[in-house]
Amino acid sequence: MIVADNLTKRYGAKTAVDGVSFTVAPGRVTGFLGPNGAGKSTTMRMIVGLDRPTAGRVTVGGQDYRQLRSPLTEVGVLLDAKAVHTGRSARDHLRAMAATHGIGRQRVDEVIELTGIGSVAGKRAGGFSLGMGQRLGIAAALLGDPHTLILDEPVNGLDPEGVRWVRQFVRHLAAEGRTVLLSSHLMSEMSQTADHVIVLGRGRVLADAPLPELVRTWTTTTLLVRSPRLSELVAALEIPDATVSAVEPGAAQITGITPQSVGDIAAARGIPLYELSPRVGSLEDAYLALTDDAVEYKTKEIA
Amino acid sequence: MTTLAGPRRATHTTAHRLSFPHLLRSEAIKVLTLRSTWWSLGVTAAMSVGMSLLIALATSGMGGGMAPTNVILAPTQFTMLVAGILGAIVVTGEYSTGMIRSTLTAEPRRGAVLLAKALVVAVTMMLTAIVIYAVAIVLTSPFTSRGIDWASPLDSFVPLALGALSMACFTLMGVGFGFLLRSGAGAIAVTVGVLFVLPIVLSLFSIAGPEWMWIVESAKYLPVNAAGALTQPGGEDLLEPALTLAGWVVGPLALGWLALRSRDA
Repeated sequence: MIVADNLTKRYGAKTAVDGVSFTVAPGRVTGFLGPNGAGKSTTMRMIVGLDRPTAGRVTVGGQDYRQLRSPLTEVGVLLDAKAVHTGRSARDHLRAMAATHGIGRQRVDEVIELTGIGSVAGKRAGGFSLGMGQRLGIAAALLGDPHTLILDEPVNGLDPEGVRWVRQFVRHLAAEGRTVLLSSHLMSEMSQTADHVIVLGRGRVLADAPLPELVRTWTTTTLLVRSPRLSELVAALEIPDATVSAVEPGAAQITGITPQSVGDIAAARGIPLYELSPRVGSLEDAYLALTDDAVEYKTKEIA
Repeated sequence: MTTLAGPRRATHTTAHRLSFPHLLRSEAIKVLTLRSTWWSLGVTAAMSVGMSLLIALATSGMGGGMAPTNVILAPTQFTMLVAGILGAIVVTGEYSTGMIRSTLTAEPRRGAVLLAKALVVAVTMMLTAIVIYAVAIVLTSPFTSRGIDWASPLDSFVPLALGALSMACFTLMGVGFGFLLRSGAGAIAVTVGVLFVLPIVLSLFSIAGPEWMWIVESAKYLPVNAAGALTQPGGEDLLEPALTLAGWVVGPLALGWLALRSRDA
């Protein structure tokens, strides 16, 4: 359980995290979303005591991280894959990390095998690819078999097999009752992994809701209707708050009306329907709608 | 990453705890698994033993020659730089690679991290110095007209032990500047500046008038000169140089601790 209360971080005049409050509950995967510069990484660094909050506080399992008596068995953390000395081999890095808590060689070998870095464990971490570095970072996070996992962009640079492994693994850990907080920019991946989503924008919490609810609230369900007598059908709908936009001859997207109503009206009038498919919005749609005003580094629209 | 659950411990054991002895072990693994450490220690050994041999050869013809412990300790003038640089890079290497974030999440009490790192690297340097002195004593013995008088501790054990301790002190200075400045180049520049450049600068004032002599005099408060006074065989007043050297260890370490404590990692 991670509880942030009015957490604030200022760097001079710039406020990176602005009075953020949230709870990351155990037993589910909580996704941490937000544009670049939204304050996700700063928040994660404050959770594990690397950065000191300007105001407010954050606790892990009810305690300040700096007060934990065995941090590695409480919290596993992957902040960025580069938190490893480039001149040390992966195995020696893990041995040194494990030694701080008296964790033995056996567990080091376990996490090496678990994350699939056995063949490169003897090589110096400086030569690792992004994906291998990510796996080493995840291995380090797992050393203490922790109650809570905090993973900043864990799938960044991983191959599809690794991405799927991370997804299944964090879901498995959450199912065991552990607390999992992970950030990612891959919306499709997040939508398959997270149960609950916290969205940050410009240092503030924009949304904190279960994933399906977030998507429902921030997207509109559209109906794709295809019919040879489309204009006749649209006229028959007679619904004031329905919007209709033509897609191609004989097909239109309609919002504000249920598929049942369209089907009933079409049947009553004897209008044939070739297609009547609801299009549910995606997490990406919801995210973009949510963060539209909070994007700090905005790209230019193409054409 | 093929198995999903993998081997796991059945229950959460409380056996794994953070403790200072564990932290020392971790820091020892870290120091000994870097090539830069072995390079530094190797260079120190080669320079030290090589120069002692040269000095022994060069002075063997002269009747009295140099005090035998001085033959062994004279190379410190140069090896102190390697000691200081090793202390600096052990710390700054963690900052430049981001390792410091792993270190501080494993042990969030930062004072303990500084203390463990300082102890490990200082002891490593001191043990290395002791081995180097032993090798140098054996190798130079055929060329020295008179051997070390082990019956007189003030002419044997004491200067040698203080020499090894001085090497540890130079290393600790580097550790302190490393935590204070974080950048490898900066910490090395300051360490080399204090150890090597400042004594030269101060000694330049000896050509100036007598009203500038106090600057030349003050050179005895520099770490290298304090260490020199400390390791003079038969030296009597050891308190002042000992305190001076201690100050050069505690000062940078305290500043480094303040920086580590207050700054975000």
